[in-house]
Amino acid sequence: MQGDFLQLLKEQGYQFGAAHAGDGAGVMRSDITFGTTILAMRYADGVLVAGDRRATAGNMVMYDRTDKVLEIDRYSVMAIAGVPATAYEMVRVLEHSFKYYRRTQLQELSFEGKLRAVSKLLKDNVAAALAGTGAVAPIFAGYDPDQEAAKIFFYDILGAEFEAVEYAVSGSGSPVIRGILHYLNTWGAKPLSAQTVDEATAQALRLLTSAAEFDSATGGVNREANLYPVVKLITSSGVSRVEEQRLKSLFEEQVSRHV
Amino acid sequence: MYEEPYRWVEAVGNRRHYLDEQFRKGSPVVAASYAEGIVLVTFSRGTPKLYEIYDRLAFAGMGHPADLEKLRFTLLEMAHVEGFNRSPSDVTGARLMKNGLAPTIKQAFEEIYKAPFIVKILLAELGVKAGRDTFLTINYDGTFEETHGWAVLGASDDAQASMRAFLKQEADPQRASLAQTLSMSLLTWAVGSLVQREEEPDSAIPEQTSASAESSSQKSAAAPDPAALREHLRTIGTEMTLECVILGHSLPGSSKYRPLKAGELAGLLPSDLLPAART
Repeated sequence: MQGDFLQLLKEQGYQFGAAHAGDGAGVMRSDITFGTTILAMRYADGVLVAGDRRATAGNMVMYDRTDKVLEIDRYSVMAIAGVPATAYEMVRVLEHSFKYYRRTQLQELSFEGKLRAVSKLLKDNVAAALAGTGAVAPIFAGYDPDQEAAKIFFYDILGAEFEAVEYAVSGSGSPVIRGILHYLNTWGAKPLSAQTVDEATAQALRLLTSAAEFDSATGGVNREANLYPVVKLITSSGVSRVEEQRLKSLFEEQVSRHV
Repeated sequence: MYEEPYRWVEAVGNRRHYLDEQFRKGSPVVAASYAEGIVLVTFSRGTPKLYEIYDRLAFAGMGHPADLEKLRFTLLEMAHVEGFNRSPSDVTGARLMKNGLAPTIKQAFEEIYKAPFIVKILLAELGVKAGRDTFLTINYDGTFEETHGWAVLGASDDAQASMRAFLKQEADPQRASLAQTLSMSLLTWAVGSLVQREEEPDSAIPEQTSASAESSSQKSAAAPDPAALREHLRTIGTEMTLECVILGHSLPGSSKYRPLKAGELAGLLPSDLLPAART
């Protein structure tokens, strides 16, 4: 297939996912880095994607500055939940795949094509996912230039693709906030898709703080260390990151007094 | 009969002659640094001549489109595999040129039973910092050259020499703005294109007055007449499409390559340099 970067890598002997495959018996589950809460939701100008910054292995906090909301190109973002080693590799493959396609075929890969590429990688990874050493359940969000809309998709660890209408969540802390999102969207002051940027950002901070309250593997906000979640916005002009300063002031105004 | 060394040298000589002929009607390419990046300029008919290879790497070519396409893919594959397996900062123009293009092109040129690549290629590499840009050019026989500040592709040595001479006088890679560099690059293109036109054997101009043709060729070597350059650009603009690309330090994201649209060019170029047919 023309412009297929993964195919090119395979011809050179690269195999995605296979290195992690096996029955996983030799690996203690607590040795594997895990844990996350990621969410994506619609707002007035497009889609907001946010993720906490903690990576855990069993009871241990491995790292508190993980970036789980990763830009794949100027118009798409993948938020990752699951085994970071596999997830980062996926992001790297996707990033190069989209660039390679654009540069060889002299046109952008369509939004559907990008979604398909994510599914295919997850499918290649099934063996590792089932063995427990490489399970990843990402959220993919991006701007579709053909339909002029920002969209949210989420995946299970086997590569099934689902389109989220208003919001999507993934990771160990996601059950906590899924109910809140449903409640907000149905009976809140306004539906999620009518929120302004600031309202949506403050809401995302509240949601991640709630997830951290009940899930030890989610980081939430650490004000002593000045650590805020990663919040990215996808609009018709592409992906942008909400500055830490903005998150800080929104947190102080609208989140901290309630907890 | 090519087993004899002399015959082989003769055959390679014939090849040079044949290849030089192939480029005669080709459109030159100009690449030059400016304060915030690199500008690449050319005129094309139908097939584009400027392409993106990697985050900081642009490709420009003269010659046969099929050959250029083949080598472009070689570069794309090498660059992306390297960028993935190592890191994007390990993808450098010099290595792609030395390990990828040069051996392939040289081998094809010297295997006299096979067809050579009809190509001249320019790679422009945006430096990590301003002032560190690199330009690499390779000829159809595999000889390549690394320069800084600017680089050109032209049909003949004379065309390339006059373009370089013009750039040496006019270019200011450290301080010039995008608009200034764009205008200067277009004029440089016209210098090369005019020299190539004079070299054409079937050209209608030389027979008019051989004396003036002689003096004009001397003049073009010294200082080309700006009015003639502008006039030439105006007529070319009606026949061919202006292609402009920048590699810009300030562009968002990791890919620094961006083609300039017709609307942007209108804002950057003085009206007498704008291709007439396109306004």
